[in-house]
Amino acid sequence: MWLALREIARSKGRFALLGGAIGLLVFLNLFQQALLNGLVTDFIGAVENQNSPVLVFSEQARKNVEGSFLSQDQADAIAAVEGVADTALIGQNTFTVLAGGDDADAVLFGYELGGLGEPTALVEGTLPQGANLAVATEADADAGFGIGDEITILADGGPVITVVGLASESRWAVTPTLFVSYETFEAAQLAVNPGSEVVLPSLVAVQPDDGTDLDALTDAIDASVPGTEALTNQEAIDGNPAVVNTSQSFNIILTLGFVVVLVVVAFFFLILTVQKARPLTLLRAVGAPRAFLVRNLVIQIVLVMAAGIAAGLVLTFLAVVTAPVGDVAISVRPSTAISTVLTLFVLALIAGIASIRRVLRIDPIDATVDAA
Amino acid sequence: MRLAMRELIRRPARFVSAAGPLTLLVLLMLFLGWLLDGLFLGSTGAIRAHGADGFVFSADARESLLRSSVDEGDLNAIAAVDGVESVSGIGVSLLGAEVPGEDDVANVVVAGYQLAGGVLPEPPAPGTAWADRQFNALGAGIGDVVLVGPAATPIEIVGWVDDTNYLLLNTLWVDPETWREIQNANRPDAIVAPGEFQVAAVTTVDGIDEAAVRSAIDATLGTETLTEQEAVLAIPGVPEQNATIGAVIYATAVVVALVVGLFFALITLERTGIYALLKAIGVHNRSLAVGLVTQALLVALVAFIAGGAFGLFLGSVMPAEVPLELSVGRAVFVLIAVAVAAVAGSLASLRRIVRIDPASAIGAGV
Repeated sequence: MWLALREIARSKGRFALLGGAIGLLVFLNLFQQALLNGLVTDFIGAVENQNSPVLVFSEQARKNVEGSFLSQDQADAIAAVEGVADTALIGQNTFTVLAGGDDADAVLFGYELGGLGEPTALVEGTLPQGANLAVATEADADAGFGIGDEITILADGGPVITVVGLASESRWAVTPTLFVSYETFEAAQLAVNPGSEVVLPSLVAVQPDDGTDLDALTDAIDASVPGTEALTNQEAIDGNPAVVNTSQSFNIILTLGFVVVLVVVAFFFLILTVQKARPLTLLRAVGAPRAFLVRNLVIQIVLVMAAGIAAGLVLTFLAVVTAPVGDVAISVRPSTAISTVLTLFVLALIAGIASIRRVLRIDPIDATVDAA
Repeated sequence: MRLAMRELIRRPARFVSAAGPLTLLVLLMLFLGWLLDGLFLGSTGAIRAHGADGFVFSADARESLLRSSVDEGDLNAIAAVDGVESVSGIGVSLLGAEVPGEDDVANVVVAGYQLAGGVLPEPPAPGTAWADRQFNALGAGIGDVVLVGPAATPIEIVGWVDDTNYLLLNTLWVDPETWREIQNANRPDAIVAPGEFQVAAVTTVDGIDEAAVRSAIDATLGTETLTEQEAVLAIPGVPEQNATIGAVIYATAVVVALVVGLFFALITLERTGIYALLKAIGVHNRSLAVGLVTQALLVALVAFIAGGAFGLFLGSVMPAEVPLELSVGRAVFVLIAVAVAAVAGSLASLRRIVRIDPASAIGAGV
């Protein structure tokens, strides 16, 4: 152990460079995951944190809430499918509003009060008990969406909505979101589209009968009601086009980042081992067991990785706290940080295999041979 | 410098340690850049397609294409503003569509427009569309009929246009009446009136102060007129994409500098004795530094070529959902960034070279 530490102390520059490079790579990796987590939560929080276990989209929408609208006939047919205990209409749209004295964008989720589609992550205040009342998103409370604030839909006859509660992680499309009664949503829609003949629901929320298999129920709805696509809440989240596109791209980038760490650590310690071949041979010749040399190597890998990871974690924390990206509330989940750190340690040890093999191949008799 | 080149040629294995990680970092930077370009171009083509000098949004739209509304009266008033050469109304509908040969419904944009401009020819005949060439990837061809929306409104593809997509969705360009029919048939909750559009694309007279014309339009109509660049950046998600992926690219460039610095520090350490000998026979520090920087640049170039080749391969096997735009401009940017980072990283070893004592070549002080 002391040998490994003394070598690091005497070659601070080299190990600091490696630690710095790993620190930055860890930061890149964690920051991207924080961004992905923040983006995904801000994209789909409103659906993730509502109480309907099954949501029915129009088939044409391809799991996109904005593109989904269903007819009353379809809503009635869904209610009649075997295994459906209850249904409710959900309306969704983005509006220009006056909030806190400024124009702003806001997403309205209209649901039947007391029923399906109700927000489940209330952290302050109450759920709406009538028309023109709303639960807003906690992240936007200081932007004119706090409890008691009035939000006006900017259109002739647009309703004035009062915030009575706040919910966490319940935004939609990275925009302030208001959960209101379905009637309030209809009033807002008609105000901005005065020529419209009808207000159509975006989704139909479904409560299954007790003991009903959700997958079987969604299949039954798809088969029974033409032009619909029923999804469990989790399927609606995972299949959201924004989530699918963002996750795919980020996962490729994250994978490349992990591979870079693996290669950098592997080459660094391999070069170091080759450069130290003669002293290592000498150590073996004077009786140092193989395990001793391998242990020192592993200790160095673990120490450099620990330092790099610590630096990366600090950088990530500072970036998350001080550098918000637009309106996205970026955050690192502890589980994500722990799994990333463990993965990096495992990758670093895998990266050290080539160096370990080199150490194990050292023959003490070579110490008696003139290197020249 | 010749010595440095010869070392590279005769002992290439010595530099694999630096070139390997660098290749992966180049691949990462290229992939990020191509992804950023793909996301940007795929999201903004429908705005850039018109080659307009300004886009007029209604004041309450907050620069949202989908929430904006301008009517015939607005278009006439805009056309009457001094310095305005032409005005073209634009409207878009986001709908599902059945494309021949495809089992799944595709998301498409149906865009109505009035005048030719930019990459768009004159609007096609009613019921037909110029399709973005990306429709090829869906298996559609000229003469095919796409059924749009729940009402399955038929549109025949009669020609192709390039780089005109919106929000990463393939766009069908139709005449204004066809767009209104499709919108009203398929979105009865968002009816558009005769003569109504969402925004107006404005072209100004050559040589005129475009900003003054845009201000005059807003002063006259109470609208919000944006430049093309502003309209592009008003598309949801575009500024955030640019900021975040751009930041990751620059951070990766810093990692490149650190990695180059790290590996050249190791290589320099390995050659301390040789450097001492060279200095003892009169080679200047500057010559050694030039040789080192040359080696770093050549290693960076090899890594760029290898990373680029990997990137092209990766780009060719990526699923269609990953919007990569394999642009030469981005590759040149990455090459320059990697070269600068390689020079910066290699210079980290300069201090060690300067400190080498030529006398140590003959064992003095050891």
